[in-house]
Amino acid sequence: MILAKNLTLSYDKRKNIIEDANFRIKEKDFIFISGSSGCGKSTLLKSFYGELAISKGNLFVNKYDLTKKKYSKLLSLRKDLGIVFQDYKLIQEYTIEENIMLPLKVHNYADDVSKAQVKKLLKHVRLGHKIGAYPAELSGGEQQRVAVARALAHNPTIIFADEPTGNLDDYSSDMIWTLLKNANEHLGITIVVVTHRIPTGMGIKYRRFNIEEGVVYEAS
Amino acid sequence: MKLLKSFVSITFPLVVMLFMFSIYLVVTKVVDNYQKNITNDYAILAVTNTPLSAIKNIAGIAVKEIEPLSRDGIIKNVQQNLSDTSVDLLEKKLPYFYKIYLEEFPTSLTLEKIRKELSLISNIKKVETFSNDHNKLYSLLVLVQNIIFILFSAVLLLSILLLSKQIKIWFFEHNERISIIQLHGGSLLYSSKPILKIILGSAIFSSILSSVLLFVVISNIHIVITPEIISLIPTTLSMEMEMLQIFLLAILIPSITFFGLLVKYKLQ
Repeated sequence: MILAKNLTLSYDKRKNIIEDANFRIKEKDFIFISGSSGCGKSTLLKSFYGELAISKGNLFVNKYDLTKKKYSKLLSLRKDLGIVFQDYKLIQEYTIEENIMLPLKVHNYADDVSKAQVKKLLKHVRLGHKIGAYPAELSGGEQQRVAVARALAHNPTIIFADEPTGNLDDYSSDMIWTLLKNANEHLGITIVVVTHRIPTGMGIKYRRFNIEEGVVYEAS
Repeated sequence: MKLLKSFVSITFPLVVMLFMFSIYLVVTKVVDNYQKNITNDYAILAVTNTPLSAIKNIAGIAVKEIEPLSRDGIIKNVQQNLSDTSVDLLEKKLPYFYKIYLEEFPTSLTLEKIRKELSLISNIKKVETFSNDHNKLYSLLVLVQNIIFILFSAVLLLSILLLSKQIKIWFFEHNERISIIQLHGGSLLYSSKPILKIILGSAIFSSILSSVLLFVVISNIHIVITPEIISLIPTTLSMEMEMLQIFLLAILIPSITFFGLLVKYKLQ
């Protein structure tokens, strides 16, 4: 599913953020990537969906070699992924319905199929009553639930989440963790989450990668 | 509001460019019509020793017709004062006269080329292109046409610059939306669908507006220009073809600008 071989990442040539990382993430894994602030967690995650170029080594996501810089192939890879950000990244000019519909539209789903899927997802994230609202009218927790619904909309193979609960209160955080856990357990979606606060008492069966001074290792 | 602003900012340079283009089309039509009229009346005179063989084109201009002038008429005019022997001799020695009609009306420069090319043909003794009487009004009209074409080219360039600026502003304003769509696998073309729709809408609106403006100008042309010039304008000035050209240009220029910028962003 995800395979890193001697992966090195850097923003400039002077300092490597991630150095010589080797790991494998299997199908249906629930992965937490943790480490101190600025250790390179988000950098590593960005490389998974091609937002950051690879400096050295190899990285395969869904068999797509991310060292090859083919724009059209990268877009096809992204169509198969769901991404959740700390700052939600919802399109402000779109309604909640339109935001969740985005990956479905990119996939060219018919309008009625997309609308039915959005309704189902909004009910699932308990925001059925907010279908016509705009992101600015929603609280942070609600916006993040919309972002998770958008990430789930097209039934992706992997969901990447970058500090999905970083800006949320405990109640909203628990809701997000439950949604991700259910997606992993019931839909078989691989989940990769960057967080500095691994949830406890949620019953999530996970593997954890830790980053320290550019070294990625699996913590027991 | 933003949408309206983008629409107006794209429509304005397009209308100016298309109106300039439509003026160029009208002037071209007037010049063509005038040229057709004077071409029918214009002929070059060639004098030859032996009958002239067929010439297909001279100096790049197709020959429409070569009309031999009757030698009998010339002989008849002078034969009363001449003896029979002199008339016989005249008949033998009198050269052949031809009127050469061209498909196009030549410019003064082409006339000189025509004269030189005809002089090179061995049996041609003399060529008269009537260059002194060559139509001065036609030259003036061609000059006006060229000036308008240069103006149109300048406006076209300026319009493309304004359009690309406007499209760049749109991309800048919607940078976040574009990046979110791309993160979900949407292509750059997909994420810029809204601006493409605005461009196409503006193009259609501008072509209609320019066509209406053109129609108004043609209908009230007597106010704009003097009666002497009006007589040069074809009585039936049908503009269907020109309107189609305006429409095509209205679609083509912003589309090329848009896709050019898209390629640039993609390469970046």
